[in-house]
Amino acid sequence: MDILLFQEELLKRAKDVGFSEAEVYYEKSNSFQVKIFEGEIDSYETSEEGGVGFRGLYKGKMGYAYTEKIDDDSVSFLIDGAKANAEVLDEDDGSDIFGGSEHYSEHSRYSEELANVSISEKIAFIKEVEKKTLAYDPRIVSVNYCVLQDFSQDRVLTNNKGLSLQDKTNGLIVFIYAVAKDGEEMKTGGAVRLTRDFKELDANEIANEAGKEAISSLGEHSIPSRKYPIIMRHDASASLLAAFTPVFSAEEAQKDQSLLKGKIGEEIGTKNFSLVDDPFHPEALLGRNFDGEGVATKKTIIISDGTLKTLLHNRKTAKKEGVDSTGHASKASYKSTLSIAPGNLYIAPGEKSNEELMATIEEGVLITDLSGLHSGTSTISGDFSVAASGFYIKDGKIAFPVKQMTIAGNFYDYMNGIVSVGSDLKFVPGGYGSPSVKVKELSVTVD
Amino acid sequence: MIKQSIIENVLEAALSTGGDFSEVFIEDKFVNSIELQSDKVERSISGRDFGIGIRIFSGLQNVYTYTSDFTEEGLLEAAKRAALAISGGGNGIIHPLQKEIIKPIHTIAQLPQTVEHARKVAVMRKANGIARNYDERIRQVGIRYVDEEQNVLIANSEGKFVEDKRVHSRLAIQSTASDGVEMQSGFYGPGAHAGFEFIENLDLHHYAGEASRIAVTMLGADECPSGKFPVIIDNEFGGVIFHEACGHGLEATSVAKNTSVFANRIGEKVAPDIVTYIDDGTLPNEWGSLTIDDEGERTRKNVLIENGILKGYMIDKFNARRMNAEATGSSRRQSYRFNPTSRMTNTYIAPGESTPEEIIASTENGIYAKYMGGGQVNPATGDYNFAVAEAYLVKDGKIGRPIRGATLIGNGAKTLQLVDKVGNNLAHGAGMCGSVSGSLPVNVGQPMLRVSEITVGGTKGE
Repeated sequence: MDILLFQEELLKRAKDVGFSEAEVYYEKSNSFQVKIFEGEIDSYETSEEGGVGFRGLYKGKMGYAYTEKIDDDSVSFLIDGAKANAEVLDEDDGSDIFGGSEHYSEHSRYSEELANVSISEKIAFIKEVEKKTLAYDPRIVSVNYCVLQDFSQDRVLTNNKGLSLQDKTNGLIVFIYAVAKDGEEMKTGGAVRLTRDFKELDANEIANEAGKEAISSLGEHSIPSRKYPIIMRHDASASLLAAFTPVFSAEEAQKDQSLLKGKIGEEIGTKNFSLVDDPFHPEALLGRNFDGEGVATKKTIIISDGTLKTLLHNRKTAKKEGVDSTGHASKASYKSTLSIAPGNLYIAPGEKSNEELMATIEEGVLITDLSGLHSGTSTISGDFSVAASGFYIKDGKIAFPVKQMTIAGNFYDYMNGIVSVGSDLKFVPGGYGSPSVKVKELSVTVD
Repeated sequence: MIKQSIIENVLEAALSTGGDFSEVFIEDKFVNSIELQSDKVERSISGRDFGIGIRIFSGLQNVYTYTSDFTEEGLLEAAKRAALAISGGGNGIIHPLQKEIIKPIHTIAQLPQTVEHARKVAVMRKANGIARNYDERIRQVGIRYVDEEQNVLIANSEGKFVEDKRVHSRLAIQSTASDGVEMQSGFYGPGAHAGFEFIENLDLHHYAGEASRIAVTMLGADECPSGKFPVIIDNEFGGVIFHEACGHGLEATSVAKNTSVFANRIGEKVAPDIVTYIDDGTLPNEWGSLTIDDEGERTRKNVLIENGILKGYMIDKFNARRMNAEATGSSRRQSYRFNPTSRMTNTYIAPGESTPEEIIASTENGIYAKYMGGGQVNPATGDYNFAVAEAYLVKDGKIGRPIRGATLIGNGAKTLQLVDKVGNNLAHGAGMCGSVSGSLPVNVGQPMLRVSEITVGGTKGE
């Protein structure tokens, strides 16, 4: 069935059954993924998929429904479902359908050149990465995850207030994890790349990074468990930021789920700490020109030199506080109801190199990886206690890798403990970025 | 869902370039999700997931494609596109499809799709009331109700043709407590492979009450000390420790490529005699249960570790090739979007002989982990970590002050060797497990048990 005709039919039927406002959101995606193991294709996946999300105001309440099966029955399925869902809601909560912003950016997130890279080129490349990683050092005993994936996606948002928006994006991601073994000691190390420019990928450089990360983790020692000054490497810092992103959501604050409620204008971090959301950042793969309800996106300063400037808003939360939406309505897909999420959220970089950040530390810990973030963090209390990998710093230099650790602290204290910020801003998949960050102290427990 | 003759044509097209096995997985799933927060029903969405996954093997090559295009042309095109990646010299044969009638082992009394939203919401409001009224320090309560009806059809070139209906229902309660300065939360999320009867029969006073009790208890908790302690882990969701520490390492996903610490060790002593570890997808109506797995194999009771001896792994059809072993009914996928692989269903430590009272009384200076949060493991090294949602100090055989922010870290294979008490009160808890083939409902379970030493990370220091 033609999707344009389907949308038209859906909006028309919605009006007929009594929806005062209605919106159709459509996504279509293609993806390719290949996994290599010992020089052979271990798995090979392709996909072509799509779905339609419908939402509409019925008697002042917003009902949702979605389907991945687009056939003659789907219109009724969506309309009846959304109506039943609207009816069960409590009174109108301020949700509406948006008529459109005045101006939308035309920032492109699609590369024709990337779309034309052949599958055989991609396979040859990722095989090369595996081969070079295995050859990096005799102690690299295996590569346990070696994947190249690419994707492209079209989004269309149409509503009965005359708004019709669309965009298109593509990208390519490479993941590799190597296992290094020395005697009984086993360590893993990896590298991740996200790009829209296939030519800029360098198999040697990726292999060296993964190999080095695994090998340099060998030779671990224990250190006394106590509080240490900490350098959070850019990727570890970005993943901690990602875990605590809900604290910057106005929706969470309005529901008493974030301690940042009522803190606009207050100092919540050190002067060295600024937090920015930029949907157009050239280094980040993701981003968007319009948000989940069709509001034009823009660069937003959330924390400026330690002072909280705004939380992330959609139209509903903005209306409650009498401000404008910041363009952060989020729809993870056509299957989702509307919530709030950043575009590309990052800690603003400073000017120091990593050597300079470390130079003044007599005894400290460089954290290179965090795990267990989904369970070891509470966005409500701000407490975190998560597993970490990293190195002992002695007299301003890396001394040796430390046995498995946990680091524990509180995110609100953490923002107030940022002593200085490095210049090496990098993004991790998912749209979060950070430079390496020096923090006054965190509790470190060593296995 | 799709005509048998079309499926046969797709299976054949998939083998056209020399593959030796092809499979079609058709999924038609209905989902309802309702959220209540701030005493209001705020969100309600229903939907239909629909798509087809096509899988081809050629020796140790594994090709997967999926599409939501269900026309014959669309499916044939997808199968041919996937087949292009196969460079096999195999002579795949299509055996005539034989419809297999399976008797479901998990009975569903009330299909959630036939239950009005109003009845679902009534249960949510009741749970909300109980959680709110538990204590005046409860500031916020979120209730999330989810039901899913997943209809699958699995057919393969070996002649398999089988259909199954899986129904999942879950109610999750999150309470937030505040004393004006701090905030703490408590969570409980019972779920089952069952219909609305499960939701209606839930003991809401227990589940909603516990979510609020945890939040309030943690408000007054001390900071967790750091160091090495004997740790008593309570029953039910406490089993998440062995899910992370051993379960993932026993999945063929990592065993087949020798990237697990448990690879090539069948028959070896990997744990003390008191440890027996089982994965059982047949437990009636449990959250992780299935009648057939996602490649159409009957689920079964797989004994992984028996009295400390490694007995078996969880194996799917593809990894069975690399391992030269039989599949164990353990192949799972979140949806048609995922290439299936070996995963856990309901995994648990079998009950032992100690009573919970004895275990606590015999612990001098340790930590009692009453409710666990989630965790994570690096399957290559076996290093795991997980969070404790509610913990207490144990002094001189008695449970003492509550502590917060406890994280346990260690190595799975080593921790397993240090289990020194296994209780007699086995119970199961529902969770979601994320891994290569997506996010899946699994049960973790155990009786109360004690590990003689685990590294505990907290904020208080030693």
